[in-house]
Amino acid sequence: MLFTLISGILIGIFYGLMGLGLNFIFGVMKIVNLAHGDFVMLGAFGVYLAYSVWNLNPLIALGIELVIFLAIGIPLYYGFVPRLLKSRDPEMLSLILFFGLSQVIESLASFAFGTNPDTVNPTVFGSQPVNIFGQSIQMSWIVAVLISLLAMAFMYGYLYHTKIGIATRAIMGHRTEAMSSGINVHRVSAIAFAIGIALAITAGSMTPFVLGGIYPSMGVDLTTTSFAVIVIGSLGNPLGTILGGLIYGICLMLMQTYLPSWSSLVPYLLLILILLFRPSGLLGRRERNA
Amino acid sequence: MRKRMLANVLIILLLFLLFAVGPSIYQNQSLIFQMMVFMALAQGVNILYGFTGYLPFGYVGFFGIGAYGAAIAVNLLHVPALVAVILGGFSALLAGLVLSPLLRLSGAYFSIGSLAASEILYNVVSNDSLQPITGGPYGVNLAGIFDEQTSYVVMLLLLVLATAFVTYLRSSRFGMSLIAIREDPVSAEMAGIHVVRTRVFVWLATAVLAGLVGATYAWHISVFYPNTVFDLSVSIFAIVFTLFGGGTTVLGPVVGTILLYGLYNAIGISSPQYFQLIYGVLIMALVLFLPNGLMSLLTRRGIYVP
Amino acid sequence: MSREPLLEVTNLVKTFGGFRALDGVTFTLHKGEIMGLVGPNGSGKTTCINVISGLYKPDSGNLRFLGKTIAGQAPHKMARLGINRTFQVPKPFRELTVAENILVVHATNKHTEIGDPLEFVGLKNVAHRKAGSLTSGQQKLLDLARALASGPSLLLIDELAAGLSPSELDDVAEKLLTLATRGISLLVVEHLLGFVNQLTQRVIVMNAGKEIFEGDLASAAKDERVVEVYLGR
Repeated sequence: MLFTLISGILIGIFYGLMGLGLNFIFGVMKIVNLAHGDFVMLGAFGVYLAYSVWNLNPLIALGIELVIFLAIGIPLYYGFVPRLLKSRDPEMLSLILFFGLSQVIESLASFAFGTNPDTVNPTVFGSQPVNIFGQSIQMSWIVAVLISLLAMAFMYGYLYHTKIGIATRAIMGHRTEAMSSGINVHRVSAIAFAIGIALAITAGSMTPFVLGGIYPSMGVDLTTTSFAVIVIGSLGNPLGTILGGLIYGICLMLMQTYLPSWSSLVPYLLLILILLFRPSGLLGRRERNA
Repeated sequence: MRKRMLANVLIILLLFLLFAVGPSIYQNQSLIFQMMVFMALAQGVNILYGFTGYLPFGYVGFFGIGAYGAAIAVNLLHVPALVAVILGGFSALLAGLVLSPLLRLSGAYFSIGSLAASEILYNVVSNDSLQPITGGPYGVNLAGIFDEQTSYVVMLLLLVLATAFVTYLRSSRFGMSLIAIREDPVSAEMAGIHVVRTRVFVWLATAVLAGLVGATYAWHISVFYPNTVFDLSVSIFAIVFTLFGGGTTVLGPVVGTILLYGLYNAIGISSPQYFQLIYGVLIMALVLFLPNGLMSLLTRRGIYVP
Repeated sequence: MSREPLLEVTNLVKTFGGFRALDGVTFTLHKGEIMGLVGPNGSGKTTCINVISGLYKPDSGNLRFLGKTIAGQAPHKMARLGINRTFQVPKPFRELTVAENILVVHATNKHTEIGDPLEFVGLKNVAHRKAGSLTSGQQKLLDLARALASGPSLLLIDELAAGLSPSELDDVAEKLLTLATRGISLLVVEHLLGFVNQLTQRVIVMNAGKEIFEGDLASAAKDERVVEVYLGR
C-alpha cells in the first residue's frame, strides 16, 4: 500500500509535467495541441537515439533536444497559430489541424524508427535503487521526478518573475485587453508555444524510464492521458495540472495494484467523470463553455 | 425550391445506382462495401457536426457497440441476422442515451469527452473478464450467419437512408433550426426551439445510424476483434472525409469519402506510413486554406450545393 | 388603454454566488403599455429581463403572465407563451439568411397585426443575405424581427439604442410605439433616458438590484435618490 502511494505520487508528478505543456498552450492561445503526445514521443526517441547511437547520457540529450525544439516551436507557431486564431472557430479547427500534424509526426517517426517498441536501458542513471520510507525506488524514477519538479519550478519562475512571463499571464487572463495594452501578443504567444512544446519534449525524455517501451504511435494515448490530467486539474491553470497529475498517478497505481485488468480505463473514466460532474476541474471556477 | 428537391432526389438515386451496380463492374466488392460504411458514417458525422456543431471524436464507439450488440444477439440469443442488426442499432441507442450528458459539454470538451467514452466502451468490451459474453480480446466469429450479398444490400439501404436524412435536414425547417441552435443556442431558445430535446434527438439518431452500420459491418465481415470495430481511425476517417468534402451539405461527405477513401485504397493499405503522411499534410492544408471543405469552392461563388 | 394586467412581477430575487443581482423587484405591466426600466450599469436591469425571458431561474419571487404563474419556465416555453426579447448584443443565426432567421421561429400565437416582421423592421431588401454579413444596426433590427416573428404579447427590449445613429433611433422609437398601439406591451431596458423619453413616461429606476423609483419620467428626474444614483456616487 505504501509503495503504491509513493509510486503514485512520483509518477503523478511526472504526469503533471506531461500535462503542463498542453495546458500552457491551451491557457495562452485557447487552442488544443492534439500533437502534444507526439512531441512527447519525439522527446523519447531523441533520448533513445542519443543513447543507442552516440551513447550520450539522457540528460545531455535532453539539453540538446530543448535547444532544437525551442527553435522549431517558434516558426511552427507563426506558420499555424495566427491563421488559426483568425478563423471562424479556432478551438475546433485547432483540434483538426494539430491532429493532422500529429499524423505527419507519427508517420515520419515510423519511417525513422520503425513501428516496433524500443527501450532505453533504465540503469543508465545507476543501478542502485533509492530508499524512500523503506520502499526501494528505481534511480531513473527519481531522476524523472527531479526533472519534472525542476521544469515546474522553471515555469513558476517564468510566469511570476520575468517580464515576459507576466505578459503571458496577462494574455491568459484577458487576451484582447492585453493586446490593447501594448503587449506584443504574437511574440509572447510564440514563446509560450515553444515552451509548451519544450515541456512535452522534457516529459518525453523521461518517458522511456517511467513508462518503458516507446513506439511512434504512442502519441494518441499520451495526448489523451495529458488531457485527462489537465481536465482533472482544470484547463488553463498550471497549478491545477500538478494536482491533476498527482490524482491521476495515485488512481492509476491503486488500480494497477488492486484491479490490474481494468487499469487502462482509469484515464478515460476520470476524464469523463470530471467533465460531467466537476466541469471546471478541481481548481476551476469558470463555467465550461469552451 | 423545386429544382433543389430534384437535385436531392437525383443524388440519392445516383448514389443508389453507383453502389448497386458497382460490384458487377469493379470486382473488389469488399472495398466498395467499406466505402459505403465510411460514407454512411461520414453522413452521421455530418449530421452531428455539420448541423449541430458537436465534433464526435468517439463516434466509432457507436459503431463498435452496434457490431458487438449484433454479435452478442447472434451468438447468445441466436436471433436471425436482420433482427441482430436491429438489436445492434438498439444497443447504440442505449449507449447514446447513457452518454447523452456529454451534450452538456461544448467544443473541444465534447470531442475529447466522446473520445474517452468510446475508449471506455472499447476497454469494457475487450476486457478479459467479459470473455464469455463478448469474447474479450479474442474477437467474435459470426460464420453461422455469413451472407455477403444480403448484408451488402442492407448496407446500401442504410447509406441511402442516411443520405436521405441529410437531404431532409438540408431542405427542411427542422434542419434550419439545428443550424440555428449551432449558431446561437440562446437565440434559438427565444425562437421557441426546444434546444435540449432537439440536440438529444439528433445525437440519438446519429448513434442509431452508426450502430446499424456497425452491426451490418459485423455481419458482412463475420470475424472481427474489438480493435477492428473500436479503431479510433474509423471516427477520424469519417470526420476528415466530411470536413474535406464540406459539412452541412449532402454532397460533401459523399465526395470526400470517394476521393479520400479511394486515395487510402490506392496507397494506404500497401504503405500506411506514406498514406498517413499525405493524409496529415492534407488535413493541415485543409484547415489552413479551405476550412469549409471542397464544396465551399462552389458555395463561395454563390453556387448552391445540395 | 385597457388596464388588464399582463405581467405581474412580485418580489423577484436572483443571486449569483453571494451577489444579489435582483433584490425583491415588484411591478406590474398592462396590456399595450410601454414601461422603461432604467438605471446605471450593473443595477440589475438585464438580469431582470433575463429572468422574465426564462434564461435565469429566479431564486424566489413570482412571475405571473396573463394570470398564470410562469417563473422558472424554460426560455422556449416563454417564447411560445408570448414573451420574447431582443439582446443587447444581437445574436442572429449568422450562417442562415435573414429570411431563414425568421423562418425557424415557432410562431404559436399568430399575431397578424404587424404582418411580415422583416417588412416591419425594413429588412425585406436584404432577406437573402446571410445574417452574419449584416451591419450591427441591421443585426439589431433582425433581432427585433426574430422576436416579433414568434407573435409576442410582451416584448423585452434590451439596450436597443446603443450603437444606433440618431436617425435610426427615431425610426426604431416610432416602430416600438407602433407595436404598442397594436397591443404588444414593451419593457424597455435602457441606459439612455432620452430614448426612453421618446417612448413612454412610465419608468422604473433600479440601483443595486432594487427599485428605487417608480413613476413618471419627469418626476424621476427630480427624485433625490435617482439623481444621486445617476450623478453622484
